[in-house]
Amino acid sequence: MKSNQPALDRNPPRQNARSGLEGGILRLVKSLPERRAIESGQIDAVIDPATGKAFLLPEAQRALREDQARVRSLLALSSDWCWEQDEHHRFVSHTGIASGRSGIYDESIIGKTLRDPPFDSMSEVDWQAHLRLLEWRAAFRDIELGCTDRAGEARWVSISGEPVFDEQDQFKGYRGTMRDITLRKQSEALAQKPIRVARDTLDALALQVCVLDSAGTVIVANKPSGTSGAGSGGIGAGFPEGANYLEVCDQARGKERADGLAIAAGIRQVIAGDSPLFRRECVCDSLAGRCWFTLTATAFPGDGAARVVVLREYLIERKRVERISGNGAAHAAVRRVGRKRVERLQGPDGKDAEGGAVVNSLLAALPRKDYADLLSGLEPVTLTCGEVLYEPGEPIRHVYFPSDSLVALLTTVGSYEALEVGLVGREGMVGISLALGMNVSFVRALVQGTGMALRMDAARFRKEFRKSLQLQRELYRYTHVKLTQARQTAACNRFHLVEARLARSLLMTRDRVGSDPFLLTQEFLADLLGVRRVAISQAAGALQQRKLISYSRGKIRVLDRKGLQAASCGCYEAVKDS
Amino acid sequence: MSLERTKRSVSDPAATTVVVMRLYIANNAPNSIRAVANLEAICREHLQDKFKLEIIDVLEYPLRALADGILVTPSLAKMSPSPATNIVGNLSDKSSVLQALGIEASVA
Repeated sequence: MKSNQPALDRNPPRQNARSGLEGGILRLVKSLPERRAIESGQIDAVIDPATGKAFLLPEAQRALREDQARVRSLLALSSDWCWEQDEHHRFVSHTGIASGRSGIYDESIIGKTLRDPPFDSMSEVDWQAHLRLLEWRAAFRDIELGCTDRAGEARWVSISGEPVFDEQDQFKGYRGTMRDITLRKQSEALAQKPIRVARDTLDALALQVCVLDSAGTVIVANKPSGTSGAGSGGIGAGFPEGANYLEVCDQARGKERADGLAIAAGIRQVIAGDSPLFRRECVCDSLAGRCWFTLTATAFPGDGAARVVVLREYLIERKRVERISGNGAAHAAVRRVGRKRVERLQGPDGKDAEGGAVVNSLLAALPRKDYADLLSGLEPVTLTCGEVLYEPGEPIRHVYFPSDSLVALLTTVGSYEALEVGLVGREGMVGISLALGMNVSFVRALVQGTGMALRMDAARFRKEFRKSLQLQRELYRYTHVKLTQARQTAACNRFHLVEARLARSLLMTRDRVGSDPFLLTQEFLADLLGVRRVAISQAAGALQQRKLISYSRGKIRVLDRKGLQAASCGCYEAVKDS
Repeated sequence: MSLERTKRSVSDPAATTVVVMRLYIANNAPNSIRAVANLEAICREHLQDKFKLEIIDVLEYPLRALADGILVTPSLAKMSPSPATNIVGNLSDKSSVLQALGIEASVA
């Protein structure tokens, strides 16, 4: 087909049958192919060279109108308003598309930008970022803004826009659509509520909780875990989300190195699925002093990917109670008793009584693991002087590990007379017959010195005793010591003078109570030694005269320990270190 | 106004394998849409990637069409290789389009 065919007028158009418009068009278009194309309905628009404007043929006009109507109805499905802004991003028009939607903001926002009321949720930073986008003449999509409607209610809109240019490619402003998304925002807020409640609950826990992904990165950390407070400390304290737990543990230095490595290894095992649970008790020094915590890592039953929940529970309060049960004066006594004794008080973990972890020597002698097993069954109690723990023939309900209290074991003969057959202090346990398979006590256990003890119920004790070989060993050794003492005491009571026996008894009491002065009435001492009260009075008077002790209203103070030892029979020497 | 076009002198028409075209359309009017679809099909089939096509909406840029001597849309103008040709209508007659683009001979 050739475009340069001469204009043909040989085939005159059927002008009579045509409308004025088509007649006009055919007068404009003179070449044959173009006319033919128009006649066959293949042409949409014609340009008038005189005006330089294009005008659509009726068919195309109708099609475009339909097209616009379709676009408009589709637009109404996805948007509520159309808007236009000038080159300074001020609204110049705002019309509702869907019926019933118009009129909420239309007039009030003319002349305003997205930064001005009724829009109220764009911060200065957001606004500057948005302006930069507009400077680049970029289209923007789904910017979500809070605003207040005419009724004063808070609403949310989503805004999309694109730049508009005129024929000379001059920027004229933006135009776009706006959608009311208040309902969606409200339901989102509602849906977030249970999540927020769960989160608040986590944050409210005193426990430090965090969740690690398979690489050890903290993906969730509750508030106590995310912040390092004064009450916390030690390895792995204060983990914000995004930190790597394993790396920090790996890099622990100094005292914390051993704990750090063990924790990292344990958590890795849980992540790898080799072990469902890892638990470790750690001790550390923080700003608030020494603190203890248990770290537990558990596999997280999640959506496939390996995850671990790590809990840190501080045991400071519990440990403090334990410390109180072996407080100040007792510690000082331990120091004075001598090196050998201190060594025995030391646990295998190197914690000494100063650290306050364990004060009862039997417990201190246990390996850390055995001790940890026992710990949950032990409760601190205060024993007051004169309190009877056991009566002969009665079942043993609890065993006691005294820390600074003193318990005398008395054998009653007849109806009222009693004879001391043993003293239990921080070095031992009350209720030893339980370990020997007897559930009934054969002695009266009488508290002789007020103080703290750790108590465990009989059933739990039997269970722990069966379980722990080390506990068995310690208690058998202790039983042997007690037997020796009982033998010695029996012989002593039979052969030695009251004064020497009183000196022995005072020394033993002093060792076990660990403090000066201590309270012992003459009646009580008479019971202990199986003599009449007058005899005690005379013997105590003699010791006081020699300035070995002071004795006033039941309050006894050892003034000259060496002298008192010399005054006592050899029985004290024989039993004191056994 | 005459539709006669100036013949362009192209130094080496045989070496030019890329066909440069301009398609004038009127927005989304039915024949314009059809013309675009038809031309795209022809290009895909016969020219693969050896063509350059510019689509001009005469409702937006009527003066550009006039400058190129275009009075009716849709209208396809082949700019190169020479000779420059012009074909009007919705391009549904494939053979005349190929002929206007000078493709038939080389393809056949």
